[in-house]
Amino acid sequence: MSYQFQNITVLIVEDNQPMLELAKAIMTAFGVKNVLGAKNGEEGFKKFCEHNPDIIIADWMMKPMDGISLARRIRNDHNSPNKFVPFVLMTGFSEKRRVMQARDAGVTGFLVKPFTARDLYKRLYRVIERPRQFVRSEDFFGPDRRRKSVNEYEGPQRRNTDVGPEDYYVSIEPDKENG
Amino acid sequence: MVDQHFRQTPRRSAEFIKPPNMLKTKVGSGGLGDEILNKAQDLLENNTVDFQPLAEMYLATLMKGIEMAKETDPDSDQELIISRMLYPGMQLKANGGMFHYPLVTRIADKLIQFLEVIEQVDVEAIEIVLAFHTTIRVVVMGRVSGDGGKHGIELMRALNEACMRYFDKYKDSDL
Repeated sequence: MSYQFQNITVLIVEDNQPMLELAKAIMTAFGVKNVLGAKNGEEGFKKFCEHNPDIIIADWMMKPMDGISLARRIRNDHNSPNKFVPFVLMTGFSEKRRVMQARDAGVTGFLVKPFTARDLYKRLYRVIERPRQFVRSEDFFGPDRRRKSVNEYEGPQRRNTDVGPEDYYVSIEPDKENG
Repeated sequence: MVDQHFRQTPRRSAEFIKPPNMLKTKVGSGGLGDEILNKAQDLLENNTVDFQPLAEMYLATLMKGIEMAKETDPDSDQELIISRMLYPGMQLKANGGMFHYPLVTRIADKLIQFLEVIEQVDVEAIEIVLAFHTTIRVVVMGRVSGDGGKHGIELMRALNEACMRYFDKYKDSDL
């Protein structure tokens, strides 16, 4: 038994046409039947609203709207059909400050180019098997930016502000969330 | 008194949400087997995209960034000046390796490392970026695919040494 990727839709947003075609071909080789493409963040957001894909894979540097702005819009725009959609950013940048910048925009995963088929698969595997909880605060909405789960701590909870693991997650249906 | 910690409870509240894992429900379990992953990798490795026109486009943008850096006065926005060279450098790094030019990726990666560190774009920094541009151009025009062998190692060493000389010269400054 393996992943039934034919059941999902993936949107790839990339302004470099050969790279877009290559990424689409890899997704098809993985078994994804519905692979959509867009040439920039603006077109990407339009297609996202039209098709509500299950995963978005986007390049960083694009005009008129880049991948970071697209991630922010998907997480915060009231027209966004799914603010929780997994968003993998692919880029040539690998410096820590760039990763932090992407993380702060609401990106789920970071894929450094050039990448192998296994690198891409690992990102997909992670969003499927280890989805991250979301955080809504005054100035941020997106996947929890902390990599380690607080639930890993098994010792006594001594602080007044500590909450039990059962209080930690607030389940909100995506439809309710998006009004 | 002023040195004491405030010992206040954090007032910013955050809501934690665990959305339903619809993706997992759709794809099920089991992952992907080696056969599929190898097939995808073969596809990637055997792509017939000609990197040269792409590289030329990014090199032209990089050269434009270098020219603008030469003409700009030292008081202007350094971050902007650097970004005009950094972004095409990043594209060369990202795409070289995807389209059979791993040496371009390695050289451009060094260029990015250099540009991410410097703070001021002075004449010497511009000379170094120009050296990177020339080297990448030689690799692309000479269609040096792969790692470039012994020649590739020498090119990398020369660029690395140029960067190190620059860092040594300005080691007491913030760069």
